[in-house]
This record gives sequence, structure tokens and C-alpha cells, in this order.
Amino acid sequence: MKKRGRGMACMWYPIGFTVAANPSAATVKVNTDGTATLLTGTVETGQGALTVLAQIAAETLGLATDDVHVVSGDTDVTPMDTGAIASRTTYVTGNAIVRAAEKARDILFEAAAPLLNVKPEQLEVRDRRIQVLGFPARSIAIDKVVHHSETVLGNPAIGSASYNPPTVDMDPETGQGKPFNTYVYATQIADVEVDDETGEVEILKIVAVHDCGTPINPMLVEGQIQGGISMGVGFALQEEILFEEGRQINPNLTNYIMPTSLDMPEIEVGLVDNYDPTGPFGAKGAGEPTAVPTAACIMNAIYDAVGVRITALPATAERVLAAINEKRAEDQAVAA
Amino acid sequence: MATRVKDVQTNVEDLVTARETRAPSRQPLAVPIDQPVTFPLELPESEARLRTPAVGQRATRPDGRLHGLGQTQYIDDITFPHMLHAKILRSEYAHARIVSIDTSEAEKMPGVIATLTGAEVPENSFGPTYQDQPILAYPIARHRGDGVAAVAATTEQFALDALEKIKVEYEPLPAVYDPLEALEEDSPKVHGDTNIYTSKVIKKGDVEAGLAASEHVFERRFSTQMVEHVPLEPHATIASWDGNGRVSIWSSLGRITLGREDLARTLQMPQSRIRLIGTVVGGNFGGKNEITNEPIVALLSKKSRRPVKAIYSRGDEFVSSTIRHPFIMDYTTGVDSEGRILARKIRLVLDGGAYCSWTGTTIGKGSILAPGPYNIDNVLVEAYAVYTNKTTTGAMRGFGAPQVCFAYESQMDDIADALGIDPLEIRLRNGFSENSLSPTGQSLQSVALKESLTQAADRFRWKEWQA
Amino acid sequence: MLVELTVNGESRSANVPPETTLLKMLREHLDLTGAKLGCDVGDCGTCTVIVDGVSVNSCLMLAGRADGCDVTTIEGLATADELHPLQQKFEEHGALQCGFCGPGMLISAKNLLDNNPDPSVFEVRDALAGNLCRCTGYTKIIEAVIEAGEMMGQEQANV
Repeated sequence: MKKRGRGMACMWYPIGFTVAANPSAATVKVNTDGTATLLTGTVETGQGALTVLAQIAAETLGLATDDVHVVSGDTDVTPMDTGAIASRTTYVTGNAIVRAAEKARDILFEAAAPLLNVKPEQLEVRDRRIQVLGFPARSIAIDKVVHHSETVLGNPAIGSASYNPPTVDMDPETGQGKPFNTYVYATQIADVEVDDETGEVEILKIVAVHDCGTPINPMLVEGQIQGGISMGVGFALQEEILFEEGRQINPNLTNYIMPTSLDMPEIEVGLVDNYDPTGPFGAKGAGEPTAVPTAACIMNAIYDAVGVRITALPATAERVLAAINEKRAEDQAVAA
Repeated sequence: MATRVKDVQTNVEDLVTARETRAPSRQPLAVPIDQPVTFPLELPESEARLRTPAVGQRATRPDGRLHGLGQTQYIDDITFPHMLHAKILRSEYAHARIVSIDTSEAEKMPGVIATLTGAEVPENSFGPTYQDQPILAYPIARHRGDGVAAVAATTEQFALDALEKIKVEYEPLPAVYDPLEALEEDSPKVHGDTNIYTSKVIKKGDVEAGLAASEHVFERRFSTQMVEHVPLEPHATIASWDGNGRVSIWSSLGRITLGREDLARTLQMPQSRIRLIGTVVGGNFGGKNEITNEPIVALLSKKSRRPVKAIYSRGDEFVSSTIRHPFIMDYTTGVDSEGRILARKIRLVLDGGAYCSWTGTTIGKGSILAPGPYNIDNVLVEAYAVYTNKTTTGAMRGFGAPQVCFAYESQMDDIADALGIDPLEIRLRNGFSENSLSPTGQSLQSVALKESLTQAADRFRWKEWQA
Repeated sequence: MLVELTVNGESRSANVPPETTLLKMLREHLDLTGAKLGCDVGDCGTCTVIVDGVSVNSCLMLAGRADGCDVTTIEGLATADELHPLQQKFEEHGALQCGFCGPGMLISAKNLLDNNPDPSVFEVRDALAGNLCRCTGYTKIIEAVIEAGEMMGQEQANV
């Protein structure tokens, strides 16, 4: 018989390396037509990092995402970056980009101030224009300012900067310390159906609500969450490298089973409204944590459905059925 | 005259049978007269990319468009003139001393231009924490994924054929596969005289006093399995030297700055003579965060003075790239009658595989996160990572967090069930809020745990289901 | 051996060793690198192309068997003026992340929509079951395919 069950799991997850320095540097150049070029040493590994980083640079300069071209991943060209690891790109590289773009922007404020007859600190950027704070009617198009700054004043709008999350080392005896500058939080809830005759688990739906600070690009955050859940589903129910005397016996995608489109449930994503003042425009990160609570919530849902606690992953049909049979035997023994 | 013509033809046939039948002809007979590939050059950009402010927009990805067109150039899509293909021979034993490696027969094979063994690597070790991993194993192989020799040939098939001709003499050594066995004093040792290669303690309050004061104590062991990242694009590298002694390396590595440092160290070269290009990576998930075959390909390219490409097969990807650490997790948790956690004692044993790789980070994050996002005054986490003669465990999406979350959240539901408390309620009762103190004593800010719990419960209609 | 086929509407031919797979012929002899090698044994679907109306794993098919056939690869979807509705919808939804599965995924989706212009979610899942993706959880891919089908239906209705 198929039995329905529901289970939840929450988690916390840090952004960046554990205590160890993990800096990123960035260079932002504003072109005389008002577009910009961002140089970053990180690498696009699929998550959409370069688009998010372009959005961060654009925001700092009052531009649109499409105005920023990103050059990445070439040690001859791009500045130091600790890389696409530890869910750190949006936060650490993003913070470096904000600081680099601010330096370029300050050059433009210096150039624009006399043109607008105010002091540089009275200026802001918005909608591709440099405007006076509190008096937006007085403004000038950013391309005109860049052109003026570069070709008349001889001061091209380029900025470079770096960022490293501040941490406090951990006591070797007690581990007390501040290993990370910030953390994200999340809850996932699974609705499952367990066949108590075969042990097979079908996931009907997963609701995932994540905190990533400000979602710089909500569409890409959703993509991370949905993808993380698929990795979590594989970890929960299917995937396992099997060994025989140190030799992998299933080193191929025929016998190592990972989720296909038929294995994935409906996923409902929610983002918590949160703003971390230490991140770029309040952002933290979204990469790894999306895969963290999935297996846990599925195991709790299995428990809710058939009353067995799976203690060893993956919860394959055989393992779930064995647990069900064991429980039946125990229940009978108690009844007898 | 006739004889000579025949001789020439015979020679040509020999050549064809020996080499060319397997070497692909690069010349299509019919060159397309129109355009083999058609695509639009100027498409209107999506509204979200053109709008300000930029932050918060569902901006589409320029690289996403290229993915859809099939125009993204991954490393296997890049070719250079005279390029060779490299393949790596892997250890026949999970633990063995390599007595000798003879590549002479392989070098005589058709199409073979260069071979490489570990003895030829200038600095044959790497690793983000401990440099305990060889580029090519020599003189000890510590798991079956260890490379022992490599070949560069004019085609992949020639390289594979040549691998079979490499003679490696092994002296098998006792091996250990089970992490708990590896903890024992008389177990075979993978490196040095202990298999415990890193440990971590997190200690807050007095865990024994907390457990003694608890109304209920819950104990359980949880364990997790080895998991592979399965990036759809296997690890890929191209290396090419120029006349200034500079090497350019196209790599599927996700962190090039530190990758170049590692390359400079293993190749014993100035960093300024190495150009590392991180191309679009076809999936990483933590598995492409350190060098793997880059030094091998660079050295084969140096020896042959030709560009060399190496693409891992799916099998290579499984056995020789890193994988997720299996955890054995003993959880003891004491609560009061209301389900408030008074103490949590945790022991973690990480199956650390044959080399350290990112284990240092995994044990650190795993230990810090292990008590869960809960206010607990008395915490003790003791974690040990042990070497085994199995696939190297390294970084994988979450650095130990999915493992410990499985344990701490399963136990939360055990507690809730035993005490008759709603799983949502027990989490809200114990969960972090702003300024909570973490297990390492850190005051937490920007905490949104309870908001995530209540929003998820609302979306799921949790309360209706529980009613 | 000489293999002659029609690829994306063009007559193409190459002289290939008999053991050459269709994937290898496309990538190495015809310079069409869109289809990818992900596993080489037909498990992952990154090499999917359409041969005479059937989507196949081109890593498993010998080039010789495709002789005289009509082959569609990812390079044959767009025109000089616009993207294929699938390409447009995949881009709009951010349906691809690392993109390595993309060429095969889009080809499987195209073959589905060619035969079933108005598929259900289950039919989409079923049609894509041979194309593994590790990044996306398939969610946005499925949304994009459904919308592309609707868009193609709309275009058909407008003709």
C-alpha cells in the first residue's frame, strides 16, 4: 500500500572559507560610451555567477545589466580570485566589485561635480545618469561624464579593489572563534509516498524556502535551489559509489543512478526577505546550501509515512523495505 | 619501373593499415556550399537586462543563449594544429609499491609521441591543505584511481592502445577500506604511522553536565555514502608551450589563481610563465576545485612540443576525481520536557579516502554546523578524518553540511515524535534568531531561520496536514 | 569509408574510418561541436541528435549507419534572424546552467514538440528522461519546453 508522509528540515550554512583568507579582487572600467567592463578572476561554472557579478557592477554604476561586459578566468588578464567554491562568489567577489566600481564612480563624481556645480559627495548614479542627491532634475548622462573625465581631464574611470571576509581564528582546544562572516538559512519540506510492499519512495512535492540575503537575480537563485534539490534527491534515495576491495564497481552512469527528469518532484521555491548589510546590496549566497536539507526532509517524510527511521543513506527501496520489515517484526513481537 | 610503383603503393597501404585507418581524416569531401551553422547576430535583449536598477532583475544570461545555440566552447570543442591526445594509466592495486615502470614498448606504438611517469614530475605532490597527493603515483599508489603513467599520441585510440603496453611492476601492500577499521592501531597505514590525518573539536559549555540535567536523552548513529559530483562535462585540459618557455593551459578548473600557484609549484616554474585559462565549466559542484591532470598534460606538451588535450572518460571521472565524504555520525542529544535542547554531543568519522584534498575544509564546516541551527548551551563535537585506500574525498556542494543536516534533522524529528511536539514547533522553539550564539561562540546576524520555517510551513500548508 | 548525409539541410560527406561514431563524425569531421561527449555509452544524452525523425544517442550510432540519412543537430535550430522557440524559452527561463546538457536536451525537446506539439508535463519529463542534467533539477527546462510548445502552436495558428 502506498502511504503518504511529510517531513521538514532546516539548516544553516556559511559563506566563504573557514577562517582562512579567501580574497577576491576585481577591476571595473567605465567606457566613454557609458558601458563598462568588469575583470574578474572567477570562472563561470554554470551557476550564472558572471551575470550576477555584472548586475552588481551595473548597480554600483547606475547602469543596466546589459551595459556591463564581464571578462573572466584568464590569469594573464584577470585579477586574483579564490574562485568558484564555498558559495562565496556573490558575497566575496561581489563585495570586491562594489568597491572597485565605487572607485571608478568616484572618479566620475569628481569630474561631474564642477559640471553640476555641486560637491562630489552630493552626487549619486541612477538610470545611466549622474544626478544631484535630493535634486534629480540636475543630472548629466554618464557617458558624457566618462568622456569628459577621460578625454578632457585625462582621468579614465577605472577602479580596482579587493575584499576578504573578516574572521576570527578558532581556538585549537575548543573551536571557539568566528570562522565566517555570515551564514544563510533555509527550510525544505517534502511530501512523499512510500510503497510499504516495495519500499519505493516517490517524492510528490518539495517546498524550499531559502535565505540568500538580497537575491541579486531571483531567477538564478531559483535555478540554484531547484538544482540543489535534485542533487539532494540523488543523495537521499539513489546515489552511491559501491566498492569491492577498493575497486569501484559502478563507475558509470548505467549503474550509478542519479535523478532524471522523471525522478524530480514539483518544486515550490520561496525566498526569505532578508538584507545582510555586510554583503553587496544585502546579498549573501545561494550555491551549496540549496542541496543541504533535502535528504533530511525526505527521511523525515519517510518516517512520517511508514514510521521507519532511515539511518544510512541512500534510502533505496531495498533499504526502506528492510526497515519496514524489521519494524513489522518488532511490532508483532511486541503484540505477541 | 612497375616494381617501384607497386612498392610505393605497398608502402602507402602499410601506412594506411598501421596508422591512417584509425587516424581520422580531417578533410570533409563535400564542403558545405551554404552555411553549416546559422544563427541570428542581433537579437533584442530581454527587458530585464536593459532595466535599472540592475539588482533584483531576472536578467537572462548571455552565456545561456550560447548554451542553447550549441556555441559555448568547452575544452573538448577546442582544437589546435598538431594537437595530441593524452590518456592516463591507473593503478591496478588499491595500495602498492611501484617497483618499476617500463614505457619503452608503449613508446614504439603507432602515433605515440611522449610518455610520462611520476618520477619525471618536478615536484610530484599537490593538495589544498596537505600536499600529500602525487600528480602520478610514484613510488606508492594509494588507491585504484591513482594515475601511474601517461601517454600522448596522435589520436585518443592510439593513446589508449599504448597504455596497454606500459609494464608496471607492483608490490601489493595491505590496504584498508573501512574508516572505523582505519582508526584502529594495527590497521594498515595509508600514509605515515596513523590514518587520522585531521581532527576538529568544538566545545561549548559542559556537555556531560547538560546531558545529566536532561529529561530525555536521544542517541543514534547515522551514516552516509560516497557520492560523485557527475558534472556532465568530464575534467578537461589542453596545454601548449611557446618558444618563450611559457605554457598556456585551458582548464575546467573553477579556481584559476590558486590553480596557477599549484601548477607553478608542481612544474617548478615562475607563475609569470604560466597562463591558466578557465573556460566555461560544464558543471563543477566542488569537483573541479583543484588541479588534476593539468601538470601531466603540461609536461607531455613540453616533451612533445605540441599542444596536448586530455579529456577524462566517465570512468576516469568516477575513480580519479574527488567525491563526497561518507560520514559516520554518533549523535547524543539531551532535552528538557519541553523539547528544548540542553546538550548535544557528536562524534564524526569522515572516510577521508587516499588523500587529504579538501578534507580540512569539510571537517571544519561539518563540525561547526553539526549541532544544527539551534541554541544549545552545551556542545561537544569531536571529528576525525581518516585515510582509506579508496577514492579521494574532497569538496562537494556543502562540505559535510548535507551529511550532518541529515543526522541533526532526523534526530530533531525523533525528539519531536517522542515528546509529541509538532516538528515545526520544536524547530521554532530551539532555532537561532538574531544575535544567537553559534557553537563556536559567534554572535550571529542576518539570521532568517524562523522566517524560512514559517514561510515554508505556510506554503506547504503544514498546519492543515498536521491537524 | 565515405559517409554522405544531410545535416541541418546541407549535404555533407566525409571519409571516415568504419568504427567512427556519428558523434565523432559530426564533431571531428564536420566541425559541428554542438553535440557533446559526456559518457560515450549512451547514458547521459549530451550527444543527442535527430536522425530521420528519431532522436538518437550519436555516440552509439556508427556514422556508416547514418549514411543517406537526414540529421538535425543543435546547430540547425536557429535561423539567421531568430532563435528557435525552444532556444528563446530556454534563455528566458535561465533553463540551462553549465549548458553541457543543453544541445542534447534541446534536441530531445525539439523531437518531442515535432511529434507532440502540446505535451503534458509528464510527457515532457518522459521525453527528456534520457538527457541527464546535474545543474537545474530540470524544473526550468520543463517550463521552457511547455512554453515553447505553446509558442509554436501560436505561430502555427497565426500562419
